[in-house]
Amino acid sequence: MKLEFYLNNTKVVWDVEPDEYLSHALRRHGILSIRIGCDETVCGSCTVLIDEKPFLSCGVLAMKVEGKHVTTVEGIQDEANRIADFFAEEGADQCSFCGVGFALIIHALKHEYKNPTDEEIRDFIVGNMCRCTGYQSQLKAIKAYLAAEGK
Amino acid sequence: MSLRANNYYKAQSLEDAYAKLQENSKNAIIAGGLWMKKTGLSYETLIDLSELGLDKINEKNGHIHVGAMVSLRDFENNPLINNLFSGATAFGVREVLGPAFRNSATIGGSIYGRYPFSDVIASLLPLDVKLVFYPKQEMSLEEYLNFKGKLNGILEEIIIKKEEGNGYFKKVKATALDFPMINFSIVKRNNKNYIAIGSRPLTAALAVKAMALADQGKFKEAADMAAQELQYLDSINISKEYRQDLVRVYVRRGLEEVNK
Repeated sequence: MKLEFYLNNTKVVWDVEPDEYLSHALRRHGILSIRIGCDETVCGSCTVLIDEKPFLSCGVLAMKVEGKHVTTVEGIQDEANRIADFFAEEGADQCSFCGVGFALIIHALKHEYKNPTDEEIRDFIVGNMCRCTGYQSQLKAIKAYLAAEGK
Repeated sequence: MSLRANNYYKAQSLEDAYAKLQENSKNAIIAGGLWMKKTGLSYETLIDLSELGLDKINEKNGHIHVGAMVSLRDFENNPLINNLFSGATAFGVREVLGPAFRNSATIGGSIYGRYPFSDVIASLLPLDVKLVFYPKQEMSLEEYLNFKGKLNGILEEIIIKKEEGNGYFKKVKATALDFPMINFSIVKRNNKNYIAIGSRPLTAALAVKAMALADQGKFKEAADMAAQELQYLDSINISKEYRQDLVRVYVRRGLEEVNK
């Protein structure tokens, strides 16, 4: 089926299967930054932004994004690099498998909340798993990043 | 395992969606599509309701009208919902995985599936909730949960009576992202107590005899009754007896909380 949407602000027209999920369609079209971890809408590794809101791309049928704006980490590259620096500083990123999903969920957090509390940050990132760290280092990194960004 | 489908159809109206649904017994309405993926079932055509404007929440004549395609995230963040029963209803919905998941999951899909583990159904059951189906059919949430068989209509709208009162929601879970081992939703409205218990591991139900005792101020007796009057079963991570022990504790606590 023909699918028209905006990928990182560029209009694209793809052929997708009616039962194909966005995570698989993105990877099939060369967007390999999408990490498929659980493929069961639990781990958060495949997070993307759809019209600026975070979604698990393994839980969104590709046809659902017709006409919408999909942002992957390539669309927030500079910000993702800044977030990665804070993660590295706090030892919050070891194997980096979850890093892309975290960059996108933190981008969404920054836009949804002004001065989020620790509890709000934890609630927001609860769906993004990291199997290397214990989340404390990530919480510290996120707080430091938001403070540096004036949030 | 994932769902399989041969076609994807964006409905232009409810009438159009319903006609497409009737065309083939293997056609199905897709809401968020999250649980459908997990089932791994095969469909002929998936019918998408995204373009029908069913993603709005409005207040009308003392009732909150929630379109079936409203996402759980928009539902929990809506001020009308946030102000219901000391925020307990929104809190219960917020217990479902993370915000990225709840941006996909819809209120209609969560209810229509009558999932035994549903925090959404448990949250709403103690409230005065009416479901509107297309073609014209209405029933309370409780009636729908007790309805035998599969309803052929399309869930269009959820209507919640706006009432004052206190609420309490508790999900007992092994990890932050886990299904509930059991969940409790207790509300006091119109000077009456309503107790819903879900994931027993059966679909949420009201503990009616316990509610009558709670109305007499007998909270401990109500909690004991709630542990007896509903059916509880063993499941892989929790025994029937432990579920009943949890009922005795959390129903009493919930009743004390909403009657403060």
